[in-house]
Amino acid sequence: MPIRVKFFGDLRKKVQPDIKGSLPLKFNIDPDGIERISDILDKYNIKEDEIIHIFVNGRYSGLTKKVKNGDIVAIFPINMSVLYKWYFKREEDE
Amino acid sequence: MTTLEAKFEDLPTDYAALGGRGMTSTIVSKEVPATCNPLGIHNKVVFAPGIVTGTKAPTSGRISVGGKSPLTGGIKEANAGTNFAQKMARLRIGAMIIEGKHEGDDYYLLKVTKDGAEFADANKWVGKGLYSTYKELFKEYGDNVGISAVGISAEILGAMSGICFNDPEGLPSRYAGRGGLGAVMASKGLKFIIMDETDAPGVEIANQEVFSQGIKKLMDALKEHPVTQPKGGLNSYGTSVLVNIINEAGGLPHRNFSRGQDERAEKISGEVKAEEIQKRGGVRPHFCSPGCIIQCSEVWTKPGGKDPVGVLEYESVWALGANCEIYDLDAIGELNRACNDLGLDTIEAGTTIGVAMEGGLAKFGDGKGALKLMDEIRKKTPTGRILAQGTEITGKVLGVTRIPTCKGQGFPAYDPRAIKGIGVTYATTPMGADHTAGYAIAPEIMGVGGQVDPRDPKKAEVSRNLQVATAALDATGYCLFTAFAILDIPSGLEGIVESLNGVLGANLVVDDVAVIGKQILDVELEFNKRAGFTALDDRLPEFIMEEKLPPSNEVFNVTDDELDSVF
Repeated sequence: MPIRVKFFGDLRKKVQPDIKGSLPLKFNIDPDGIERISDILDKYNIKEDEIIHIFVNGRYSGLTKKVKNGDIVAIFPINMSVLYKWYFKREEDE
Repeated sequence: MTTLEAKFEDLPTDYAALGGRGMTSTIVSKEVPATCNPLGIHNKVVFAPGIVTGTKAPTSGRISVGGKSPLTGGIKEANAGTNFAQKMARLRIGAMIIEGKHEGDDYYLLKVTKDGAEFADANKWVGKGLYSTYKELFKEYGDNVGISAVGISAEILGAMSGICFNDPEGLPSRYAGRGGLGAVMASKGLKFIIMDETDAPGVEIANQEVFSQGIKKLMDALKEHPVTQPKGGLNSYGTSVLVNIINEAGGLPHRNFSRGQDERAEKISGEVKAEEIQKRGGVRPHFCSPGCIIQCSEVWTKPGGKDPVGVLEYESVWALGANCEIYDLDAIGELNRACNDLGLDTIEAGTTIGVAMEGGLAKFGDGKGALKLMDEIRKKTPTGRILAQGTEITGKVLGVTRIPTCKGQGFPAYDPRAIKGIGVTYATTPMGADHTAGYAIAPEIMGVGGQVDPRDPKKAEVSRNLQVATAALDATGYCLFTAFAILDIPSGLEGIVESLNGVLGANLVVDDVAVIGKQILDVELEFNKRAGFTALDDRLPEFIMEEKLPPSNEVFNVTDDELDSVF
């Protein structure tokens, strides 16, 4: 079972530069070579300062959060940092 | 209103540094008996622009409205962004107090100019929707006035009636919505206020140099931050940018708070709405009041750009959409139009429809059925009169046990089981369940430091500091969304403080923000205590503690001791 990824807003253009419409881009990625969120970003040449919210299975997460087969990962671009972020702590893994 | 007299009084010296929520809550606390009937002769409605409102300070066109709430039974401050606020401030009116109660069934209009205020008969607009009424009022009083109004729901003293203001297009779409203050205004016999700023002297600025320096710093911060800058998140997508985010967090309530996530939410997201507005020829971005840098507002229309509604905010899209399992922006748009036309708070209307659907008055997902419920209010039928009293009364009448309220007020668009910190704010704010009560400058600025896990129930300190900071910001006239920029860019907060000093001729420092906020909250909490509130009122409904919220399957497990430690 692959990792299910959702990119929102302008982040979608990192995968499909000519993407139309406004729905999130959803796609599966092979977990080979993907251990953490940062690996997903690297795969699509996304810099840390280009993103803001990361959710792994609904948990607010950071770049070192580990991902595995079957996980659902949602990532939002920096200009969508509208959130009560003060109520959240990013989950990270060692 | 008892004798239909209006008069100007000099602002008492000890009120001189007050504005917005600071002004309304101080006056309500001093002048309204806490145990009075909210719809009786002793309650008052107080309007107050913020301290910098009406000046060139960016994103500051806010007005606060206060009184004792018929929905919560406690003190209430609701605020809105509108040029009405700026016009009132430029007339140098620090506060407007509506008091007394007109005997009989007549309704009146109050026109305010630099020379005075006078009443006129408003009976010809009774029973009419606010969209057509606003057109007629602007035709009669000129395009440059500001208009405040209460709608049909207030005529039946519905506790979910808001106080309406105009947007720049003259649409009745900007609301000081929460807490039923519209019913209080209507109970006195007042239907409209016309604010005419012709030859207004403008806001007095004690120190222009300090003021200009302050607003420059704030403008720079707003233009620099990715959330608040032109083409930033709020500017591009509006507040509904939160739909997808909160849904992914598992905290977007669906089907009357029975789930925290649903794939269909993406159909009603800010991104989809922005694209649709562009296709239709609506307006986005758009400002709610002149001088806003952020411009998160919009004008939603029917297909083809016809019949503008005004803004569809995140809370409205959620309340009238996901909460009722309606994942259709056109249906949501028409429900929002009905709310604006009837004078309803969209959040309370949405949570009321949610429990009404739970109780069998309509089916979940049925937009037309929901509109029929709105028509019951328009026709003032017995069912409509029950619905107009809001979520809690409607739920009880229908035998519903999942009633999402605190202190009688419907929950906003964040499920407290998934985002527990906001549940603490819902429970403890003196306003009743209110998301804006804890939406402000970050705890880091308040000296708390660190962040907290959304599902870690130790939230008292975070909630307290957010509430304190929000109360202070609500007094300034600045929009809460400035908080995004001033959180990350410290010179922005300095700019806000300097702009306040410029207007007031004061010497406030950043640390004073917390002191001001605490003073406001203390006044409000003390009023509620006199009104009979105890710690037992700072509790969330049982289902929030008992029913697991899919998909996280969390419950709200913050202890009573933790809640009681907030204040």
